[in-house]
Amino acid sequence: MDVARARASEGRDVRQPGAGRSSARLVLGARLRRLREAAGVSPETACKTIRASRSKISRLELGRTGFKLRDVADLLTLYGVRDDAERATMLALVEHTNADSWWQEYADVVPAWLEEFLDLEQAATLIRAYEVAYVPGLLQTKDYARAVLWSGHPATRGMDAERRVRLRLGRQRVLHRAEPARLWAVIDETALRRPVGGGAVMRAQLRYLIEASRLPNVNIQVLPLSAGGHPAAGGGLTMLRFSESELPDVVYLEQMLTAVYLNRPADTAYYLDVLNRLAAQAEELDATAITLERILSGIT
Amino acid sequence: MSTSPEAPGSETPKIDSSVSHSARIWNYWLGGKDHYPVDQEVGDQVLAFVPELVRSARADRYFLARAVRYLIAQGIRQFLDIGTGLPTVDNTHEVAQRAAPESRIVYVDNDPLVLVHARALLTSTPEGACDYINADVHDPESILRQAARTLDFGQPVAIMMLGIVNFIMDTDQAAGIVRRLMEATVPGSYLVISHPTTEVDAKAMTEAVGFWNQQGSAPMTLRTREELLRFFDGMELAEPGVVTCSRWRPDVMEVGETADVTHFGGVARKT
Repeated sequence: MDVARARASEGRDVRQPGAGRSSARLVLGARLRRLREAAGVSPETACKTIRASRSKISRLELGRTGFKLRDVADLLTLYGVRDDAERATMLALVEHTNADSWWQEYADVVPAWLEEFLDLEQAATLIRAYEVAYVPGLLQTKDYARAVLWSGHPATRGMDAERRVRLRLGRQRVLHRAEPARLWAVIDETALRRPVGGGAVMRAQLRYLIEASRLPNVNIQVLPLSAGGHPAAGGGLTMLRFSESELPDVVYLEQMLTAVYLNRPADTAYYLDVLNRLAAQAEELDATAITLERILSGIT
Repeated sequence: MSTSPEAPGSETPKIDSSVSHSARIWNYWLGGKDHYPVDQEVGDQVLAFVPELVRSARADRYFLARAVRYLIAQGIRQFLDIGTGLPTVDNTHEVAQRAAPESRIVYVDNDPLVLVHARALLTSTPEGACDYINADVHDPESILRQAARTLDFGQPVAIMMLGIVNFIMDTDQAAGIVRRLMEATVPGSYLVISHPTTEVDAKAMTEAVGFWNQQGSAPMTLRTREELLRFFDGMELAEPGVVTCSRWRPDVMEVGETADVTHFGGVARKT
């Protein structure tokens, strides 16, 4: 599958998203936090006002949960926002954030812990990833993605595999839309040599990676086995960065039955450092195509 | 960050995230996200001496963008950007290639963290070119040799030295390095320098730099406007000369709130 065909196929598979729903949520949350802090209102007081738990305010302000019109209206009043136009703008944003996510039509195959990632990934402007076992999802071909999903635990195979494949390919729109995100991925040589789906599928996948690496917004670096030990020996990770200056990076760590999201600077800075070290330790970008060709020629 | 010491024989390049780092502190002041808590801590401590440094750092970035646009208007299409720093908004090649997509830019830094970011994030238009070279500002021969892979020194080149000459502690040596770099260029080439000075709030800036130099990242020095003029000796300074960065050909939109900042800058043409 070449890049152009991947684009075409995902165009058929996925409808347009609720135009930036998740980024609107992030912006709305960040604005609410600024307003609260400017008004000198504690999170506890804000929680009481909207009859919610302490963690609810924190999730709202980080854009990690949906907003109710009434809650936001009450918070604006609490924060002393009385200007009608400003209130109307904020409340319009709330309605916007309540539009359907792009992945709603696949909701039956989206586990709850994945939902937030599917939204955040589309809102990111920079996606940094390290993958050790598989080619990163954003760079998988359809056949490779299908093979990855089929090689999973038997308990997950019962789900509609083809819909899960389409969901995964739908995510790739973030790299091919009009203002695409930048993907900066470090892929472990192990992932590139493991012929998931057999030799033919893997060869096609490697050829696709070579093409994708030429896209101006895709950086692929190979971490060769010869690099020895490295700071992410524990496994893969993804870091999402957003253009809004007040939004913190989000680190996403996927496990078998759940995922961990980190956005406290003390935590994300650790993973940022790991990603920086991996990028410095991996082969330089210029070498990627040659390395991929060499690995490709070794797969029979 | 690095809570555990490097394993013996580790091949990890020397990215030291346990101490503050000048490019990351600068990134923090510019509102970027590529810094660590230790950089924020030291950055805040420096700001305690001179709170205006944030404004000065940003004025320096805006100066960079205006200087590049000016150079493009003068017909310059080759840029040697020494002291790249971590990518931020409106990096040299982005400003240049927005106006002239065929522009060729060589970024120079000697920091592995900066270089790995530059290679990944400072990518050229298809019509132009970007290259990234690992060299120290103290070694102009190495810079010129490597830059010649991408730049044609038979044509005019803009040598961009923003916030970098201040890391050459000796003024005679700094002037010699600038002279050597300009010697390699043809008439019609340009030199751009920005530099923190003692022209605005000298006492606080001197204290801030004294503190900075104790923090483990590369030591730096302040200079006067007169000393900066020396770097442009024998060249034709573009109006308005060497001035506070915020007053170098400000865009109309910026005029309203122009205040003097500690970073001064100038652009000059080799004749």
